[in-house]
Amino acid sequence: MADPTTTRRSGQSGDDLRPTGAGPGRSTSDMHGGEQAANIDGRELDVALPGHLRALATRLTAAFEMLEASGFRDELTLLAPAERIVELLTFCRDEPDIRCELLADLSGVHWPAGKRTESAQETTGWPSYEFGDEAGRIEVDYVLYSLTHGHRFRIRVELPDVDPMMPTVTGVYGAANFMEREVYDFFGVQFQGHPNLVRILMPDAWEGFPLRKDYPLGGVDVQYKGATIPPPDQRHY
Amino acid sequence: MSETRTPASSGAGWQDAGEPANGRRLTPAVPSEHTVVGGDWQELPNAVEDDLMVINMGPQHPSTHGVLRMLLTLNGETVVDNQAVIGYLHTGIEKNTEYRPWVQGVTYVTRMDYLSPLFNELAYCLAVEKLLGIADDVPPRAQAIRVMLTELQRISSHLVWLATSGMELGSTTAMIFGFREREGILDFLEYVTGLRMNHAYIRPGGLAMDLPEGFQGRVRTLLTTMAKRIDEFEDLLTENPIWIERNKGVGVLSAEQCLDLGVTGPVLRSAGVAHDLRKSHPYCGFEQYDFDVITTDTADAYGRYQLRLGEMRQSLSIVRQALDNLPETPVMVADRKIGWPAQLGLGPDGIGNTKEYVGKIMGQSMEALIHHFKLVTEGFTVPPGQVYVAVESPRGELGYHVTSSGTNKPYRVKVRDPSFIHIGTLPAVTHGLSVSDVIAAVASLDPVMGGVDR
Repeated sequence: MADPTTTRRSGQSGDDLRPTGAGPGRSTSDMHGGEQAANIDGRELDVALPGHLRALATRLTAAFEMLEASGFRDELTLLAPAERIVELLTFCRDEPDIRCELLADLSGVHWPAGKRTESAQETTGWPSYEFGDEAGRIEVDYVLYSLTHGHRFRIRVELPDVDPMMPTVTGVYGAANFMEREVYDFFGVQFQGHPNLVRILMPDAWEGFPLRKDYPLGGVDVQYKGATIPPPDQRHY
Repeated sequence: MSETRTPASSGAGWQDAGEPANGRRLTPAVPSEHTVVGGDWQELPNAVEDDLMVINMGPQHPSTHGVLRMLLTLNGETVVDNQAVIGYLHTGIEKNTEYRPWVQGVTYVTRMDYLSPLFNELAYCLAVEKLLGIADDVPPRAQAIRVMLTELQRISSHLVWLATSGMELGSTTAMIFGFREREGILDFLEYVTGLRMNHAYIRPGGLAMDLPEGFQGRVRTLLTTMAKRIDEFEDLLTENPIWIERNKGVGVLSAEQCLDLGVTGPVLRSAGVAHDLRKSHPYCGFEQYDFDVITTDTADAYGRYQLRLGEMRQSLSIVRQALDNLPETPVMVADRKIGWPAQLGLGPDGIGNTKEYVGKIMGQSMEALIHHFKLVTEGFTVPPGQVYVAVESPRGELGYHVTSSGTNKPYRVKVRDPSFIHIGTLPAVTHGLSVSDVIAAVASLDPVMGGVDR
């Protein structure tokens, strides 16, 4: 599995700064023992997960072998396959010791294909950043929250950015109705089985999915006393 | 609930003309030749069971709490279905933040939920601080001022809710009172931040500037008057028969429905669930403050009204506690690579860089000028990763799901706005109500369309 947030500082090739994604070489058996249970290779986490989240990760990966757990800033992320999301969320909602009553958030992030350099600051010596993989991905993140136990964690599903499709979870959480419509509206993810998957914030006839990274911000040059300021998405600062 | 209207019986008073309803006879039993018997239009849809009407309510409607459009499917006067159409205020703030340095994001997110801008700033800044790993380094004074100002803003937001709900239900006195009291808080916020709304006062790492001289007296005056004014509202509305009639039993959402639909905040607490992020996941040192989580168990619009009044009183108490124990520390993290370099001060022409600071960077220290220039133009970089931070806004859980790819700009800022989630509950909240009750039900959810559409 390609890593979602692989980021390399120029001049530090090979030194992956992977805080949230699951590493390719990691096996789920790491979860079952050792105090660094949710740690991938001991280097990527700057803080270990708190005990209750580590126990939760162990519990969930025991029930669902294919989950890949990772931690960053005291937050647990579980990478799950799209086709089992309904089963997984139902489990998280109904198991007494997990009991996530609330689907707190559902969001998407687009990681387009191809290497891309961000914010190269040649003149100032600030580092350039390169990221991206061969295939573009859309991450769909479910944030679950349990009022009973007070824990919060993230379940992540990765989809190809060409024709992304996954099952709807409106049958598990009613709140997913609007949230999935929003992800569809902005990223074009088709939630199969959604009762009313239409645009929600953009106009009905809108073309394209605006929060994808290949969708430009738009804007026009601003002229002021003869000088021209480029639109925000073409500025370099 | 005995005297209140349930959704099934709501609006049914006119359905069976001639039958005694609520002890009153709606049409004279024996029409005389001098009595004009009009009956009621409800007889027509009653006669034809599936004769449904689809009515557009909004987006330009004075009672829909903003540019909200509801597609009401009506059976006579009774709501069968209610589909919310939103997006009229969508301005692409989430997309815009991806093209600006991290600090500038504050000025964008503060324009989302325009009744609680400081909460947006706070949640965004907490997320950025968490990504930076400096969450524990923010000075205690900055945290206390954040608590103080956001709690004042919670009061002002609830006052606007009270004002607009009152207006929508015909109580213009409540509207005038509500907006008047809110002005007092806005004046104070203007005095502290320079702006009545969209303050951009909370910054990643702390605050834009410290509180001005003499704020103590002003806050204490505000607290004293506000406590009296809340009592006035209590006198005005709590026992008011019209207010009770319009609100009791309207817009019922049970705890199970709330949780399934993702509802948080006052609406969830009105169903008896004592869930408050300030208690369960304290941020900004909320664990130091002594306050109660107000709940009611009526789960209706009237319960939400009582609950919000109680919350305003709790907020006053929190502000008082914050004021009494205000630590004397800086208001920005010590890390000079993150803290905004400029020293702001109040000059004759408003807030700006202080004279001393401008003199230093322009006349004495070239390094300081370079530092200032780089931090202001490029900003700081944030380690790659993704965090979710939630705060308890006046409407519920306001979550910021922020992704960084390691650059000086956010990679993605997703806002989980409670109003957006609550609009999704409209079919459940308004089912079976009459059209006039829809207004009270929507008002009790307190959606802010700027936050819904973002």
